[in-house]
Amino acid sequence: MSVTIRSRQVVGFRTVRGRMLFWILAVTMPIYAGALYMSYRATAQRLEADAERDADDLAARLAAGLDAVIRPIEGGIRTVAHQLEEVDPPPVQYPQRIRGILAAWPEIYGSTVAVETRHGGANARPFAPYLYRQGAGVSYSDLARASYGYQDLPWYRRAADAGQPVWSLPYFDAGGGDIWMVTYSVPFFRKRADARRAIAGVVTADLDLNWVTARAAHVSLGPIGMGWLSSPPNPRSFVAPIGATTERLGRFAGSINEDAIRDFGEGMLQRKTTFELLPGGVTKAPTYLAARHLETLDWRLMLMVPRDELMSEARALLNRQLALGAIGLVGLIAAIMLVASGIAGPVRALAEAVGKAREGDFDLHLPEPRRRDEVGVLADALRRMRDSLQRHIDLRAASLAEQARLEHELAIAASIQQSMLPRREPGTAQLGTARIAAALRPARQVGGDLYDYFELRDGNLLFAVGDVSDKGIPAALFMARVSALLRELGGAGELPDRLLAGVNGRLADGNDAAMFVTVGCGVLDVHTGRIRYASAGHDPPLLRTLEGTVTQLTMETGPAIGIDAGVQYPLGEAFIAPGDTLVLFTDGVTEADAGDGSLFGLDRLSTVLRDAPEGEPHALVQGVVDAVAAHESAFHASDDLTVMAVGLSPSGVTARSEAGVPHWLIVPEASAAGLEQTQRCLRTILTARGVGPGRIGDAELIAEELLTNLTRAAQGQAGGIQVSLACALPPGEIALTVRDNGPAFDPLALPTPQLDGAIADREVGGLGILLVRQLADSCRYARIDGLNVLDVRLNRVTDSHGVPTNVTQDCP
Amino acid sequence: MSLKIALDEQSPLLTITLSGRLDSNTAPELDEVLNGVLTNTMITRLTFDLGQLVYLSSAGVRCFVRARKAIEPRGGNVVIVNPQPAVRKVLDIVKAIPPGGVFESVAELDAYLDHMQRKVREGT
Repeated sequence: MSVTIRSRQVVGFRTVRGRMLFWILAVTMPIYAGALYMSYRATAQRLEADAERDADDLAARLAAGLDAVIRPIEGGIRTVAHQLEEVDPPPVQYPQRIRGILAAWPEIYGSTVAVETRHGGANARPFAPYLYRQGAGVSYSDLARASYGYQDLPWYRRAADAGQPVWSLPYFDAGGGDIWMVTYSVPFFRKRADARRAIAGVVTADLDLNWVTARAAHVSLGPIGMGWLSSPPNPRSFVAPIGATTERLGRFAGSINEDAIRDFGEGMLQRKTTFELLPGGVTKAPTYLAARHLETLDWRLMLMVPRDELMSEARALLNRQLALGAIGLVGLIAAIMLVASGIAGPVRALAEAVGKAREGDFDLHLPEPRRRDEVGVLADALRRMRDSLQRHIDLRAASLAEQARLEHELAIAASIQQSMLPRREPGTAQLGTARIAAALRPARQVGGDLYDYFELRDGNLLFAVGDVSDKGIPAALFMARVSALLRELGGAGELPDRLLAGVNGRLADGNDAAMFVTVGCGVLDVHTGRIRYASAGHDPPLLRTLEGTVTQLTMETGPAIGIDAGVQYPLGEAFIAPGDTLVLFTDGVTEADAGDGSLFGLDRLSTVLRDAPEGEPHALVQGVVDAVAAHESAFHASDDLTVMAVGLSPSGVTARSEAGVPHWLIVPEASAAGLEQTQRCLRTILTARGVGPGRIGDAELIAEELLTNLTRAAQGQAGGIQVSLACALPPGEIALTVRDNGPAFDPLALPTPQLDGAIADREVGGLGILLVRQLADSCRYARIDGLNVLDVRLNRVTDSHGVPTNVTQDCP
Repeated sequence: MSLKIALDEQSPLLTITLSGRLDSNTAPELDEVLNGVLTNTMITRLTFDLGQLVYLSSAGVRCFVRARKAIEPRGGNVVIVNPQPAVRKVLDIVKAIPPGGVFESVAELDAYLDHMQRKVREGT
């Protein structure tokens, strides 16, 4: 027995472990990867938000820093302008005021009060004293020079036209201090008589933006990123790097296009977005840009954060999660392996335990200890199966032992049954002058066929063949009863008809098993060759003559024995000559099956008997058994088979067949009994061949006269003479030939005795030869090879007293 | 099958009834009986009743011939009644008994004897 565990699923999964690993990892890995991705995304978004908030915070701080400087200056300048309106001092005092401004705010590089002339009065003439820092001191110049039409310049015009304070865009003062500056212009007015306000001039303050640069550089920028404070493009912009930007820029030397960044930032402000990834080409590495608009001076804050740096935290977190995940994965795999091994190991152990089981050895060593899970259930099931198998095997062993015992008993029964048969060794039995052979082949160990024969007290032979209706042990038991009854009643000298009636009477009474037996039974008169025969439902026997013809004895048959009590059986009669053989058989012969339904049949049986070289009983029986066996070939015998052959072989008689003509040679004993023996034999032969009693008497008479003559003649011979009588039956004739080795003597040459004379004159002698010549159709004498040969022939005409006594029917 | 011999002597008449076979084996038995009987010269008629005789051979015929030879010289005679066909055939062939000496039945023999006695009476 071999156990084959074969997966019908995906090829490649030879183990539970593999399948569990595959499927669990197939499910968990995407989830894990998704979780990692979500976590990374969340972290990245948080970092981006942080960066934005940092930008907002930075913008706020910068704005506060700028406002702290700018707002007081704005207030101061506006106060000056207000004072100029209220007080309206003469222009000569303007420089004094300007000095006050410069003194108040060190961030102011220079300042002027420019007088409006277009709407002024008579005293209105261009005047714009400009005081500015030079070195440690303050220099003066009047902007109202012809070459400097200040009233048309933007710093004046925009404020004058707007009628309110305006900031200029930062500009690079290339002519003055070579510095970036921005100008705050505040108009002031004069009240006119019509109560309308008329522009009187503009107060300006030029702020040196170096402080902005310094202040931006001092703003803390945080650990990453670079930022700039810049003015709106004009077209050049003032740019102040924030915090450590300048140093950090060094790392990106040559790889940053600041103008492009600024342009993109301006685009963002227009799109009102605050945080974007710079497009490719602007920077080499992906970089975020945060853009803020400061209300103060309409300035911008650009904060650039390389994504790698911003996301380093996220990456670090990702790496930590990956590491943790890897550890978790290893643990998961280990757990799967452990669980799978916990299942597969015991299952494999169970499979091996079952696989080791061999025929007859189901002592499975199932693994212990018992488990409570499905593997445990399987082990329990196997254990129960093992126990069940073991019980089954034990039962089977007991059953086999019982069977062996039964077979032993059956063998003994078969031996006993065989011992009921009269002769166990093959061959022909000689019982007196009868010769008999039989074979019984049971289909099983014991059978329901039977045969028996034994010598009766008068020397005759009783023989019987039977076939019980069933097979096996019941048939054998019934057969034993039949055998015993045949012996008992047959031994008492009953003739076959009464014998069968007696057996039937005993068996039919109380035959609850409703078994029956067909029996063919006969008594052979060994002196005359007469067979008296009765049949109880049995197949009629076949008669094979010396010359090789086979005929079936068609006799009336009675019912099978065991069915009805009180049945009579008809008695039939037949005669056999020496060399003839009566063959009895059971239906195991005729109904022997070749396996394809073709039965052996009566035709084959007749052919076997006809083709036999001689009628020797054992040879015929063996021939039939062999032919049946050959017919059945490989097919098992389904029925018991019995064949019996009965012949007659008187001493001193030999029989042979020559060209279909039977010949018998009788060598009589050299005594008075020899004549009687010879005549009896002759009578047997001729009766069996259907010769009428008159012709038989003639033949007997001829034999006597010839043999008596010779006996008388022998009395004068020393050592006697040897005589033989041959009888042959050519068609229509009876040929009797007497041979003797006495002196040459032709009895036919003797004179015919005188029959008409007086009795006193008559010779008492020669009458025998006279009788022979008168009875025979022809007589011839010859001396051949030292023998006297007298050949006498009679025709076979059946006289009025002769009717055929053999009631036979030619077999097909 | 052998020969059975039964004697019925009513002197001077003797009837011998034979049954069975009279052949070379049994003829000596009959010869012996006849030898004893034929010494009695009172017997003038010997009748063989062969109704039960089934077989007769020349040896048996010789017994009849010997009986005739013993009786006829004394003026007696031997007659045979009831021969079976097979026996009759033998008797006919060998002519051991003169014509008129064989009768098919006892009644025929009695009729013949009555006729003879009448002739004798008329003749005397």
